[in-house]
Amino acid sequence: MKNIFTALVAGAALMAASGAVAQEIRIGIAQEPSSIDPHFHNLGPNNGFLSHIYERMVEQDSKQRLRPGLAVSWKPISETVWEFKLRKGVKWHDGSPFTADDVVFTAERAVNVPNSPSSFGTYLKGKTFTKIDDYTVHVSTPKPYPLMVTEMSTIMIISKKNAQGAQTKDFNLGPAAIGTGPYKFVKWQKGDVIEFARNDDYWGGRPKWSKVILKPISSAPTRVAALLAGDVDMIDGVPTADIETLKGNPKVKLSQGISNRVIYLHLDQKRDNSPFVTDKNGNPMDKNPLKDVRVRKAISKLINRPAIVEKVMEGIAIPAGQLVSETFFGNTPNLKPEAFDPAAAKKLLGEAGWGDGFGLTIHGPNNRYINDAKIAEAIAQMLTRGGIVTKVVTMPKNVYFKRASRGGPENSPEFSFILVGWGSGTGEASSPLKSLLTTYDKSKGHGASNRGRHSNPKMDALVVQALATVDDAKRKTLLQKATEVGIGEDQGIIPLHYQVNTWATRPGLRYDARTDERTLAMDIKVVK
Amino acid sequence: MSVAMNEGSAPGAAAVRDETPLRRFISDFCESKIAIAGVLGVLLIAIIAIFAPWLSPTNPYDLATVDIMDSRLSPGKQMMSGVTAFLGTDGMGRDMLSAMFYGLRISLGVGVASGFVALCIGVCVGLAAAYFGGRVDMLIMRVVDLQLSFPAILIALILLATLGKGVDKIVIALIVVQWAYFARTVRATAMVERHKEYIEAATCLALSHRRIVFRHLLPNCLPPLIVVGTVQVASAIALEATLSFLGIGLPVTEPSLGLLISNGFEYMLSGKYWISIYPGLALLFTIVSINLVGDRLRDVLNPRLQR
Repeated sequence: MKNIFTALVAGAALMAASGAVAQEIRIGIAQEPSSIDPHFHNLGPNNGFLSHIYERMVEQDSKQRLRPGLAVSWKPISETVWEFKLRKGVKWHDGSPFTADDVVFTAERAVNVPNSPSSFGTYLKGKTFTKIDDYTVHVSTPKPYPLMVTEMSTIMIISKKNAQGAQTKDFNLGPAAIGTGPYKFVKWQKGDVIEFARNDDYWGGRPKWSKVILKPISSAPTRVAALLAGDVDMIDGVPTADIETLKGNPKVKLSQGISNRVIYLHLDQKRDNSPFVTDKNGNPMDKNPLKDVRVRKAISKLINRPAIVEKVMEGIAIPAGQLVSETFFGNTPNLKPEAFDPAAAKKLLGEAGWGDGFGLTIHGPNNRYINDAKIAEAIAQMLTRGGIVTKVVTMPKNVYFKRASRGGPENSPEFSFILVGWGSGTGEASSPLKSLLTTYDKSKGHGASNRGRHSNPKMDALVVQALATVDDAKRKTLLQKATEVGIGEDQGIIPLHYQVNTWATRPGLRYDARTDERTLAMDIKVVK
Repeated sequence: MSVAMNEGSAPGAAAVRDETPLRRFISDFCESKIAIAGVLGVLLIAIIAIFAPWLSPTNPYDLATVDIMDSRLSPGKQMMSGVTAFLGTDGMGRDMLSAMFYGLRISLGVGVASGFVALCIGVCVGLAAAYFGGRVDMLIMRVVDLQLSFPAILIALILLATLGKGVDKIVIALIVVQWAYFARTVRATAMVERHKEYIEAATCLALSHRRIVFRHLLPNCLPPLIVVGTVQVASAIALEATLSFLGIGLPVTEPSLGLLISNGFEYMLSGKYWISIYPGLALLFTIVSINLVGDRLRDVLNPRLQR
């Protein structure tokens, strides 16, 4: 009898223990954030993983539709002023209450983070935040600003009490990393692990997982192996090469969805002696063929997009002809992916006076986008066959982005022809138009990532007008027109494809694909 | 007591019967069948490496002929150009057989070139240390100790990170990593030889330092150097493959064996074995062949193991 009792006790203890283990979730992640400071770097992995800790006034759901976050409601109270009503009863992780002071403090701090590789100024410049009472904030702009609410869904709110005077390192080490989100920051060991603990007092209800462990595993096959071995419960960035095999594996559940990210090429349209544009033998030239729209069009026509999608991406991508795919606001029906047409390309190159071809170097990252280095190599093949002798140089993302943005003289972009991607953080076409194609102007926050320095006043005017148009239908038409000028007429950039992302979990879990590519522990559901 | 003045041959092999030292060496070497297989393997690899452009069905480094539409064909399938890919194609549509031939060319070229230069540097430095002794010896050997106490891969990684990409940069990195082994080996042998009578005799004849070191001391230090040299070429090839596997060193459009293996690694779980297995086997075959020859050389040239 006593034995049975002991067995029962032991059994109960075991069950309790396994229950505790089941509440911990381990995720193998492809991209590690570059900081725990939510305003240091406007970068996909940062905006995603830091959402566990911090929240925004307005949040985006898995399809990037807006929903209330730290603000419960918002409305325009005049042409140029928006009123945000804040959520009451929200507590910071240290127990202090969340108020309008924190929002005003965040707006001041987020534009002034030293050494930021990519600033949130692009969403905050020109906006004035005023506290009305503890739970009301007014945001005013010089001109009507219809994208106000959308842009508020990009700024993570931090605690004034804990973050006043804090540097980026104070966030990375923990003291300033105080948010209102469902998880508290525990530790970050760079390259090894990021750990979050449950915020039991979360206003949205107690989160499911008691502990979240993010393991950065940059090598794709290793990440898959870790999931198959049971070392992690879930991975993001499932490599395209393995998707076919994993589909038939009962130990794995996949989820897949198109993202807001377009993979594209920038071409140097500013410098006459662009350093990586040469003659066919690699000698420097004092003329830059990329400045000629016919050459840019020819390059676009030399790229066989369906071949890249089928052979490099293994079918897991969608050929692109513009900045955002069909489901997004601002997509224009008039632009289709450029058809592969070497004969027409040859003719265009001949007309432009480059019938004999020239030399080019394509630069790209090798650990940022899905199959990035291979895409660069495939493009080099295609251009070389079309007479433009192309070399490939790929490098890790931390080196690449620094050089691509400001590695040249006077902090100008260093390269001539680069492979990059852009995810529309706002979920519509104005974000890429403004950042990638408008004339570079630091003071206005225009062309912040315009690394080819494309410039067309006609398109700039359309974008500026669109950003000040409140009427949705009219704004949509303006965005479509701007895209038709920037890409259709000018070929300011060359779109390649929209990225499609894949997640994999162990059986018993479900993760719904997000268009913003984020991997969020609070959205992992347990299924029977 | 006779003074050995024979130049260019090992003292142990001094003529006893009516045969030249070389003949004796060859017949000793050929006693091992497996060593002969090693020599044949090395010869085969050398021929492939030297004549790769003529032996390969396609040029895997010419982007104008490599077609992405051919990617990941299984062995024996025909490519768009009509050429049959006997070992399949890789993710970028390169014929694996051609890519391996060209890859071997890079691997072997880098291994031999860096091994030879490192040997020259190591020999000069090591002989200087042994011959002059004292402070010179101290200084040189502490530098060697310092160098040998760091893992080779670490030094190579740091160098390549600062120097950048390219075959020449890899060769430089491998030389820096290897010279110390030669210096240490040659110094140890030279220390023993230095106190022998023939060196004393040479010194008494008031020959110049240079003549003593290079005409008298060096030839008698050669046997262990040949052994270390062979083994080092093999390890240089392995190190180059490691660096390429890690994605540093060579441009992606001109893969060596290590980069081919690394590219194929992505497809391991999806059953496309040929992309990394064949270059892996080629690398294995190369290193084993060279090491077999090296081992046999060691056995034959070591007087203590002579029956």
